[in-house]
Amino acid sequence: MEEDIVDYALKYAESKQIEYAEVRGQSQVQDRLMLRDGILEAYVSAVDSGFCVRILANGGIGFASTNKWTREEAKDIVDLALKYAETAGRRDKIVFAKEKGIETKWTVDQKRKVEDVSPEERITEFVEVNKSLASCGVKIAATIFQCSIDLISKYFVSSEGSRISSFVPKIGAFLFLTVAEQGKTEQAGEQFGYSGGWEAFKEWNITDKMIHDAKILKDVITKGKTVKPGNMDLICGPEVTGIAAHESCGHPMEADRILGREMSQAGRSFIYKGGPYWLGTRIGGDTVTIVDDPSLEHSYGYYAYDDEGLKARRRFLYKNGIINEFLHNRESAAKLGTKSNASSRSINYDREAIVRMANTFVLPGNMTEEELVEDVKSGVYMKSFTEWNIDDKRFNQRYVGREAYMIENGELTHPVARPVIETTTLKFWSAVDAVSKKAEFEAATCGKGDPAQGVPVYTGGPCIRLRGVYVK
Amino acid sequence: MSDVLNKTEEIVKKAKSLGADEVLAKTTFGRYRQARFSSNQTDITVAWNDYVTDVTLAWKKRLVATQIHDFQDVDAGLKSLLQLAKVSQENPLFGGFAKGEFKYATSKADKKLEELENPTDYISAAVEAARKEAGAEIDSGGILFTRFEDVYLVSSEGPVGVDKRSAVELSIRAFTQREASGHGVECSSALKDFKPERAGAKAGEIAELAKNPKAGDEGVYDVIFDPLIFGSSLAVWGSMVGAFNVLIQMSVFVNKIGQKVAPEIVTMRDNPGAYSLSSRVFDDEGVPARENVFIDRGVLKGYLHNTSTAKMFKTETTGNAGLVAPNAWNIELDAGDVSKDELFEDVKKGLYLTNTWYTRFQNYAKGDFSTIPRDGIFLIEKGKIRQSLKDLRVSDNALSMLGKIAGISKERQHVHWWGEAEPPSLSPYVLIKDVHLTKSK
Repeated sequence: MEEDIVDYALKYAESKQIEYAEVRGQSQVQDRLMLRDGILEAYVSAVDSGFCVRILANGGIGFASTNKWTREEAKDIVDLALKYAETAGRRDKIVFAKEKGIETKWTVDQKRKVEDVSPEERITEFVEVNKSLASCGVKIAATIFQCSIDLISKYFVSSEGSRISSFVPKIGAFLFLTVAEQGKTEQAGEQFGYSGGWEAFKEWNITDKMIHDAKILKDVITKGKTVKPGNMDLICGPEVTGIAAHESCGHPMEADRILGREMSQAGRSFIYKGGPYWLGTRIGGDTVTIVDDPSLEHSYGYYAYDDEGLKARRRFLYKNGIINEFLHNRESAAKLGTKSNASSRSINYDREAIVRMANTFVLPGNMTEEELVEDVKSGVYMKSFTEWNIDDKRFNQRYVGREAYMIENGELTHPVARPVIETTTLKFWSAVDAVSKKAEFEAATCGKGDPAQGVPVYTGGPCIRLRGVYVK
Repeated sequence: MSDVLNKTEEIVKKAKSLGADEVLAKTTFGRYRQARFSSNQTDITVAWNDYVTDVTLAWKKRLVATQIHDFQDVDAGLKSLLQLAKVSQENPLFGGFAKGEFKYATSKADKKLEELENPTDYISAAVEAARKEAGAEIDSGGILFTRFEDVYLVSSEGPVGVDKRSAVELSIRAFTQREASGHGVECSSALKDFKPERAGAKAGEIAELAKNPKAGDEGVYDVIFDPLIFGSSLAVWGSMVGAFNVLIQMSVFVNKIGQKVAPEIVTMRDNPGAYSLSSRVFDDEGVPARENVFIDRGVLKGYLHNTSTAKMFKTETTGNAGLVAPNAWNIELDAGDVSKDELFEDVKKGLYLTNTWYTRFQNYAKGDFSTIPRDGIFLIEKGKIRQSLKDLRVSDNALSMLGKIAGISKERQHVHWWGEAEPPSLSPYVLIKDVHLTKSK
């Protein structure tokens, strides 16, 4: 990355009639490998490097990016962004919530640098996972494994005096398998993610997790019974708790969505000014506190400063069941008369930073998982999910169990095949009466933006118990 | 031969001289513009300039790839790529890149889209058209996007080609009430055929009809799918006929070639035609892109292939190559013989769905999935729209829905939309019988 060109672009922008300008340079070393049925399909290794300028002028925003590192190109994209800002012709002028400039550098440490791990070793690790799966006693019809490594260097400067350099290595893996037994198939996908070095691979225990999934899918085919539909207690494992927190708390609490800026794509929110839900409204039980926290070290969604140069901190979204704090960038914060809480993220130099989650999870409670189960007479324990979705106001959601068990008189009895909970955000979180003290995190890629920006996040959390919800 | 094509060819020659068996280089100069709007105002206007050469090489059946952003920096990049190939692993099923010299059709890209600097002008036309249908008080948002790419491809196996690709699309969602909205899209490869007011009028018309929605009832319905939502279904089926997705069991079409998968009225093809957002004259191996019928009068005829997957299935490439997986470019469902109005008349009691999002599968091989309709859900009685509904979910099966297609309109629309109707398609109004709808409890 050529920092002098980033500085030059800012200086050139500052010579114009602007209200605010920022320039973000980003260089991303990208490694991708894909194996099908244990055989390497392709290995891709590349460097993507470029810079963008965002300008606020005349109450409008212009953005332009390039991957050509020349001063002439820098001038061209500044001129273009400025023209776009000036000609936006808005009735309501955009302003950004006030902030002071920050000068700092931050990095994420690696115990074992990914740069020191050869491609052969990376490939071999995944080949071995496939060999273990092939000999685990379950008929595997197909596997597809993907591994991604991104070494992300950024240099952010703004007309308010910010100068922030950062380096973050991110490692991700996605494994998908199909089990075929007795002429039937079941499928499972697992995602892994980490900010840091190759030490992640051992910590993930991929082989154990995939063999567990294979055996569970076989059990679902050979022993799974369907649930008799009706109201019952439901215990959600960390994976299910996590997706529910992400979808029905994190997303509806994004202020840009609340203000309508995503209306045509990811939609709006059941939370809006003048509506039945706003800051201070109850949305869940007292035991429900959901936070979004980018400062969890080595988490997949980790960052120390957001892409508007603000210091990251934990945000309490739902606090003891009450709608508490939205996720903001500087534009949304100004519109709602508050300060940004550093939720602005961009996936690359060619994308506008927008309001995003980082790591969203229910804060752990004080019970053991066993205690949650002991107190259930009749219900379902949904440990993980397959199909899921939620409407674009983030109110009507559905989760279909992958690993799930019947609970009878406080004991897990037999596997349940694809139990379904289809309910509203209010009913889901209001039904929670207990939360386990142990939390487990899951890596995910959160989708939003047009063009799409899939950002790395953690979901997961503790187990939660819901009383008297409809399961089918 | 242009300077860029020469430089792209030099990359191929250099890689060969370093020891690569086969090499593909594709240089793209992309110029992309987008304006995003909400609350009837422009939020941001964006420009991206992108210069990249994608290099893929094979060495002893090891497939590796990289990107080069600067022609000054080629040697080091190629040496490290070849080194990567040497420490990589053999894929015995790699079938090589396409061989031969091909003649390509002339690109019909619209030069005006290369010169268009500020795309915001088209937004007001769409918003005003929506207002005409639904009143001045609507709240609308969306995007206007333009793309112009110069593409230069050279393969060590023979293909050499130059292409220009252009696209313009507008997406508008209009709200008349908090829970009453309509969505319209307008997609074209050229400005002359681009009518943003059509998208605005459609969004406004649906948003007006969608006022005062009531919670819908769970059940089994005959459903008319608007071209936009049916574009999402075409995208699902189009993805599932990709041979790679068949190999990894992410398809309901595994082992179904030659079998009847749909009624006789269904003929589906992939066609990156000149009108399409995906228009192109060759694929990523330099094979001429062409029309491929994959469902012919209800019978699955074949999958979409690159050279490698074609060899695995003992057939020929269909000109759908990507690096590893073949891709559908633009799915078409052949037009039916009834009008949209006649299709509605056939429905005694049913639903009309206009858009959807968040389609997710329990099991791709089996096809069980759900998706959430939005932007106008309507109860139809005796062929007429009687009531706007909300809060329903389609919870069904991709293969059985294909088998229950009962009517296809003559009218078709070229549709594409964020995340769901991707790849683009040429999509009619379609009647599907006995579709399962569920709701929150």
